[in-house]
Amino acid sequence: MEAMKMLLVDDEERFLSTTRKLLARKGYDILTASSGIEALETLKHKTVHVVILDVKMPGLDGLDTLRAIKSNHPLVAVIMLTGHGTVESAVEGLKSGAIDFLTKPTEIDDLIAKAEEAFAMRQRLEEKIRMAQTKKFMRSPREIIKKAKTP
Amino acid sequence: MARKVQSHYSRIRKYILTSMILVPFIPFVLILGIGYFYFTTSLSNSSIASMHRIVEDHRQMIESFLMERKSDLDLVLHSHSFEELSQTEKLNRVFNDLKRKSYAFADLGVFNDSGVHVAYHGPYRLAGKVYDEAPWFKEVLNRDYYISDVFLGYRRIPHFIIAIAREENGRKWVIRATIDTFMFNNLVRKVRIGKTGEAYILNKSGIFQTDRRSGGNLMDKDPDYAQYPQFHSDIKTFINADASGKNYLYATTWLKDKQWLLVVRQEQSDAFRALKTAVYLSVIVAAVGGITIVGVAFYLTGRIVERIKQSDLEKGRLQEQLIRAGRLAELGEMAAGFAHEINNPLQIMKSEQALIEAILTDLMERGHLHHSEDLSELEESIRQIAFQIKRCSEITQAILKFGRKTKPELQELELQHSIPEIIDMVRKKADVHGITINQKVSEAAPPILADPSQLQQVLLNLFNNAIDAIIKQHGSAGGQLVIEAKPKEDKNVEIRVKDNVCGVRPENLKKIFSPFFTTKPVGEGTGLGLSICYGIINSMGGNMEVESEQGVGTTFTIHLPAGA
Repeated sequence: MEAMKMLLVDDEERFLSTTRKLLARKGYDILTASSGIEALETLKHKTVHVVILDVKMPGLDGLDTLRAIKSNHPLVAVIMLTGHGTVESAVEGLKSGAIDFLTKPTEIDDLIAKAEEAFAMRQRLEEKIRMAQTKKFMRSPREIIKKAKTP
Repeated sequence: MARKVQSHYSRIRKYILTSMILVPFIPFVLILGIGYFYFTTSLSNSSIASMHRIVEDHRQMIESFLMERKSDLDLVLHSHSFEELSQTEKLNRVFNDLKRKSYAFADLGVFNDSGVHVAYHGPYRLAGKVYDEAPWFKEVLNRDYYISDVFLGYRRIPHFIIAIAREENGRKWVIRATIDTFMFNNLVRKVRIGKTGEAYILNKSGIFQTDRRSGGNLMDKDPDYAQYPQFHSDIKTFINADASGKNYLYATTWLKDKQWLLVVRQEQSDAFRALKTAVYLSVIVAAVGGITIVGVAFYLTGRIVERIKQSDLEKGRLQEQLIRAGRLAELGEMAAGFAHEINNPLQIMKSEQALIEAILTDLMERGHLHHSEDLSELEESIRQIAFQIKRCSEITQAILKFGRKTKPELQELELQHSIPEIIDMVRKKADVHGITINQKVSEAAPPILADPSQLQQVLLNLFNNAIDAIIKQHGSAGGQLVIEAKPKEDKNVEIRVKDNVCGVRPENLKKIFSPFFTTKPVGEGTGLGLSICYGIINSMGGNMEVESEQGVGTTFTIHLPAGA
């Protein structure tokens, strides 16, 4: 089974480095980006399954970055990380295509659990896509014959 | 401060009172004064005028009486010769003719130029007497006619004489008639004005020519005569005090070639009695009117000032509420921003703490670290850091909740259902601690407009606060929680949550809705609960108050608008 690739986006460098170290110890390999732009850049070149995205960032903020990710990489699962202890900003994210949300300060274990969940969903989705494509291939010889019969 | 407010109200009171008394008083006094002036003037004028009239009438009557008697004699004198009248027979006839004209004639006599009483008709035997030395005789020879003052003469009856002279054949002769003043006296005495009005005649020396009703006999001297104005033409009115000090209103006129003075007088108090009544009435009206004005002014002023005080109080309370609400909103906004900023460093701390823990675990697993006291102290310290981070994050969560501006979704809510539901949520906790919950939700309470979940949050908060306080004071027996809901007259519904805990201290009562204010020990409360409640109730268009009586209990009162 494919290993989960995470991208953590936050403007706090120390949070990025500490979390990366922490997750590495728990056996996860993660990428980090300190801004929305950098995150989009990374996504272009690297395979990423789950993005954990801070809502409040200077420059391109969390919601804008989310919309850009969803239009360019619809299959990437995004989990919003909100500083507000409330649902409002998270709801906005969920409406724009985020799969889940976390509130700061969040437990590392919660983060892992939600990421795994999102990854599993994505895996299932990819499985479905694969299955659909396989069906298409299986159907095609008959169609070829059909086409051959007709003059 | 209180004294300043007091003086402020007493100033308003003084101002209103002064204007309310002065404004009606000025026209009132003016009207009364003008009315009084014109009324009394016209009254005294009419009193004086009526005396004037009487004097005038009587002068004419007396003058014409005298003139008539004189012309009667004139007629006799000129229609008969001296010889004719010297005969007693003839004189008798003539006298009887005269008597038919006027009963006043008492006798009639004829005199020759040497003053000898030639013939006489009358009750006395006067014929033959000589009068050439008598002053009247000298006078009549001189001026052809003479009217005497009143005298008593031999007869001791008041009378006066009229004598007229005629020249015949170069010799003068005289007829003289005595006029009984009885009639004359009556004529003047008949005058009556009011109670004390009277008329009388004085001669030039102030001797009474007629009786005076109020005392003053014929032929006596009027003691006040010297004070009368002397020799004026026409009618004179004046006020004079008599010997006894009584003031009289006088009207006088001269008669009979200024020989006699006709006096009409009336006691001033009598003459002006109507005036006195007018004065009394004016005084009574002024007193009653004045008292009424002052009374009404005091009453109205009292009420107005009371109203002002009340509305000021109301205004003050409203302002206080507005300020508090505004301050809370500001604080909420600030706190939310602040909490949000704190969450980022908290997140890092949490990660760091997790990393330390992970590293420690790794080290131990790899055998780099051995169990020791220091190690367990380190672990304990790390756990403590985790605990404190958690505590911080709880605070920031609460602050964010407080600062959150969610619009309440108002809907009609029946308190008869929702209050028991909310009570059920805390019933178990209450039962465990022996707290009796007494709910009185009036059936008359109309549905209110509120956000159900927010109202639930507020009420739960109040219930829990009350229960916590009860447990702290009463332990597990004797606690009482009363929840009431009833309609108010201003289309509001009132919800009261009442406990029987010793109460909140007055200085704390003021701050009870302020954020972060708590009397609970550190770590047990953020001090945000009640200010959140307050904000919620405000945003639903209601208000929230607290009262507390030391040793009795604390009551939270919520007013919420009733649904349409």
